[in-house]
Amino acid sequence: MKRKGLKGLPMVFVLTTLAIALSGCSGDKKEETSSQITIGIPQDIEESLDPHKAVGAGTEEILFNLFEGLVKPESDGSLIPAVASAYEESEGGRVYTFTLREGVKFHDGSAVTAEDVKYSIDKCADTSNGGPLVEAYSNIESFEIKDASTVVMTLKEADTEFLAYMTTAIIPTANENPDTNPIGTGPYKFVSRSPQENFVVERFEDYWGEPAGIRDVTFRICSNTDSLVMDLEGGSIDMFARVTATQAAELSDRFEILEGTMNLVQAMYLNHEAEIFQDVRVRKALCYAIDPEEIMMMVSDGKGTEIGSSMFPAFGKYYMEELNDTYNQDIEKAKRLLEEAGYANGLSFTITVPSNYQQHIDTAQVLVEQFKAIGVDAKIQLIEWDSWLSDVYQNRDYEATVVGVDASSLTGSSLLRRFTSTAGNNFVNYSNADYDAAFEEGISSTDDARKTKYYKECERILAEDAVNVYIQDLPEFVALNKKYTGYEFYPLYVQDIAKLRLAQ
Amino acid sequence: MRYAGKKMITMLLTLFAVTLFVFLAFHLISGDPATSMLGTDATPERIAALRQELGLNDPVLVQYGRWAKGFLTGDMGTSYSYRLPVGEMVLDKLPVTVTLTIMAFILIVIISVPMGIYTARHAGGWVDRAIYMVNQVIMAFPPFFAGILITLVFGRIFRLFTPGGYVSYEKSFAGFVSYLFFPALAIALPKAAMAVKLLRSSLISESKLDYVRTAYSRGNATRDVLYKHVLKNALIPLITFLGMALADMIAGSLIIEQVFGIPGLGRILLSAISNRDYPVVMAVIVCIAVLVLLVNMAVDIIYGLVDPRITVE
Repeated sequence: MKRKGLKGLPMVFVLTTLAIALSGCSGDKKEETSSQITIGIPQDIEESLDPHKAVGAGTEEILFNLFEGLVKPESDGSLIPAVASAYEESEGGRVYTFTLREGVKFHDGSAVTAEDVKYSIDKCADTSNGGPLVEAYSNIESFEIKDASTVVMTLKEADTEFLAYMTTAIIPTANENPDTNPIGTGPYKFVSRSPQENFVVERFEDYWGEPAGIRDVTFRICSNTDSLVMDLEGGSIDMFARVTATQAAELSDRFEILEGTMNLVQAMYLNHEAEIFQDVRVRKALCYAIDPEEIMMMVSDGKGTEIGSSMFPAFGKYYMEELNDTYNQDIEKAKRLLEEAGYANGLSFTITVPSNYQQHIDTAQVLVEQFKAIGVDAKIQLIEWDSWLSDVYQNRDYEATVVGVDASSLTGSSLLRRFTSTAGNNFVNYSNADYDAAFEEGISSTDDARKTKYYKECERILAEDAVNVYIQDLPEFVALNKKYTGYEFYPLYVQDIAKLRLAQ
Repeated sequence: MRYAGKKMITMLLTLFAVTLFVFLAFHLISGDPATSMLGTDATPERIAALRQELGLNDPVLVQYGRWAKGFLTGDMGTSYSYRLPVGEMVLDKLPVTVTLTIMAFILIVIISVPMGIYTARHAGGWVDRAIYMVNQVIMAFPPFFAGILITLVFGRIFRLFTPGGYVSYEKSFAGFVSYLFFPALAIALPKAAMAVKLLRSSLISESKLDYVRTAYSRGNATRDVLYKHVLKNALIPLITFLGMALADMIAGSLIIEQVFGIPGLGRILLSAISNRDYPVVMAVIVCIAVLVLLVNMAVDIIYGLVDPRITVE
């Protein structure tokens, strides 16, 4: 009897496990009929959900759907009124008057008041924690409530680009836990989040504008990007915003591959405090040594847009295509320059690359090969993103690094300010009085033509002084299940889910 | 009682050593939570202010003391990255890793015990030889490779499960368990192969001992000798192995969680390490350490149950 019991037990386990396994499997294959979408994201939102404190690009692109500022960006790069219904610029860009839109509600049902707006802006301008959350807000002299539906902002110095910073999320004064319970005015509202699993939002039915096309949206964390194709084909996700060219080619025709650009300046950034890079001839030699076309071929199947300075094409009027030809690959010239600089016997340096960005690692590998042709021995050192932030970006303890720098807002200054000698985020330690002067002229100009002229001057200096080895604006491939349509690219790092809808 | 008391003290000492070591090791690697929280737009002044607020400027031992005090009073702190209470986060993920480990363990037992007995009884037969060959190959699989292979075969070719289609236990327990079946199999296979081999050789060597001949000479049938006498003795090495395997699996599930996209303790730990989220790292490490210690204790007790000659005193 005893023996029988022992023998029977394992069989019961096998059968129940199998039965459960099989019943579960058949359930997964059901076709979804309600309007919902599961979007894969490469990393979790591992930070505060307070839009003012969130810093990760991956967080901001999702919170874009939950929060809005007085104005918000459109897919063509323009700014459209959001929480404000109208705005007026006066005194040459020193005073901005915003009329609040009527009937805008927060996700908790309360109405947006002028106090909420003032609170949100003041919170970002507050200097008590070692500096304002939005650096540009140090230029705000006062932010006053004129009446229940009008707010007036006065700047210390006129800045005609300042409207671009008014995309700062408007949040309610009464939210006790903004870090974990995000309340905004956007087309989607927060439902739940499970660390390393998902982030769930649903359509905000009281949204003031056009309601979102899909009701339930789940952002699923797919940290294992090697299995993305399987995740998409198997149906566990319907969309992924940044598949590689190889993955895009592997996907079946049930998926549409949309092609855009990542809107960033990918370059080998050089530390100008490092002895070897203080000599402009060395920097120029490196620029002459590389061939961006070949990099694009190796990294992304030939897709990508060549750039020659710290500006990418989405900026339109500021972008200068002609700078791409400042240095065309010329091995002999590169060798000669190195010789003149006293490095006839070659030189060596280390390229530090954050290990979580495959495209930058791939690029660095091609660069190393191209540098060999001019006798430069470069070594790649992979480090974690966090170490990159503290060692390279904050402490500036590196020689060269390959990363992409994006624009926090659609202003020329967002890309160019960091190369002024006193900028806190000038992680390349560049210092050039001509550049500082040109930038100062540009930012203080209230006349658009004049502003553009000086910003272009800045770009030209960056290119001609070979400040960095500029490469490309990376291509972006969005894989979207053909059940859905309506995806739009933005010139900023955002994913506008509200525009997605079911295909008919 | 004396045993329990002694065990408790060793456990606390081990925990103390493990947590202190992890805490110190963490301070040796570069990167700090404040830069991680403030990102690329941070100014040095804001980083300094946040470091002050988080108490990161205090000496390491003071920080450890503060953590230990909080832990002992039941307060594991707040995650730097998620800003959620750490206790809540870990308790939410603990069932995932524990279920996965238990399922893998059950699979090992139900695969290895019958197979081990069968191959021992039919040692030298063609089935035994075939199993031996397959075992050798499977034993060499690291779990992550088994995971990739299983995903390919059962997920892609036979479509028995949706790769990456993890279902939360709060949503559907059946769906949860069924998704974990294949990851559990990936963890179990290499270990089960070893267990089969171990049990087979242990059974064969036991059956050559004198007491077996005595049992036969008393007129016992082969089945009775095998199950009543030999198996009991042959199980001791297997239990030792399973205990070690279980402890290994708890820590090793980190890798399988990554392959199958399972949001368990391992995933939380990995992300916390890369974000320098000390409170979460510490809590997960303590969790894993306690589980491993509990398993070891359980193995000691089971020895005594199987073989009364072994006492835990």
